[in-house]
Amino acid sequence: MAQSLGIHHVGASDGELVRRVRAGDTGAYTALVARYRDRLGRYAVHMLGDREDAEEALQDAFVRGYRSLARCDDPERFGAWLYGILVNRCRTAGARAARRGRLFVRDDAALTRAPLPSPAERAEWDDTVRRALARLAPEYREAFLLKHIEDLEYDEMARLTGAGISALKMRVKRAREQLQLIFREAERV
Amino acid sequence: MFEHSENVIERIVAHLRRPVQIDPAVDSRVMEEIAGGPTPRVSGGASAAWHWLTRPRHIALSPLGGLAIAAGLGALVLILPGRRPHEAPPAETATRAFQFVVVAPRAARVALVGDFNDWDAARTPMRPSQRGGPVWTAVVPLSPGRYRYAFLVDGSRWLADPAAPAARDDEFGTPSSVVTVGGS
Repeated sequence: MAQSLGIHHVGASDGELVRRVRAGDTGAYTALVARYRDRLGRYAVHMLGDREDAEEALQDAFVRGYRSLARCDDPERFGAWLYGILVNRCRTAGARAARRGRLFVRDDAALTRAPLPSPAERAEWDDTVRRALARLAPEYREAFLLKHIEDLEYDEMARLTGAGISALKMRVKRAREQLQLIFREAERV
Repeated sequence: MFEHSENVIERIVAHLRRPVQIDPAVDSRVMEEIAGGPTPRVSGGASAAWHWLTRPRHIALSPLGGLAIAAGLGALVLILPGRRPHEAPPAETATRAFQFVVVAPRAARVALVGDFNDWDAARTPMRPSQRGGPVWTAVVPLSPGRYRYAFLVDGSRWLADPAAPAARDDEFGTPSSVVTVGGS
């Protein structure tokens, strides 16, 4: 709500806000954070499988984005630029979590919003999806989420990840195949 | 209970596409963390440059040698680690002076930016070796570690170091290079 109290123009474009931050109006960055918090947060939550790790990676991405704002060549595309930073932060956080041996945990807040008939089925479905995502190699999970959940084009994904388009297509394909296999296995159990 | 093939993928996608609400406290934590830091301006002020130039430091450098001109490319970068000062601290914490050199024949101003100065173009302006000359230099004390860096020419053109490894994990969309400073 803070961003609608008159300090920032509600409809200010990303470019306008970025220019104001660069001119010394640090408070304008609040509007950018509020604008992208949930959208980028969704990627981090699914990529890392842990809300605490996701919020930490998200916070880190916003801070690094601020400190490196001079390198944002196209302020109107601030969101896409910030995505690249978050993808990198998630890679780092994911590697750290893997070293800790952390397992994906159930997200109870998401469970309550799942559009499925019964709590038991919701819980089972959510657990199965999370465990299936966790079983994907990080680069497959990353490609699957960017393509199918965040709806990015392959050239944008290539820019964000540094991988080639053909490699990304292969990762998405493998991710889909592995998810199908995992769910077939789950059905047999 | 689960459908096969494409139906499964569609259902997973629909499930994962639901909005996720992140704790709004993230906003205040971000703003607290960036408060007090430098404003991320593209070009720096004279006072910051003066502060950088007049800040006390202890530097010992080896002489530059064999600097080639990268005609047409606009820039050539060399990094030459300096000899350690006589009263250097222990190796694991030692700060060594590094001279960054860039050849930018038509530049009006050049800044060195990197992890060591929060990518703030105001903090490390480079100086031409002679008035109107193409060679720009800056000296930065670096502790052991891995640093990404780049050169900002005339406030808008980013140059990586063609003689150094590219930063493959760079996340900001502009070219940058990596220097690794050893602990001994």
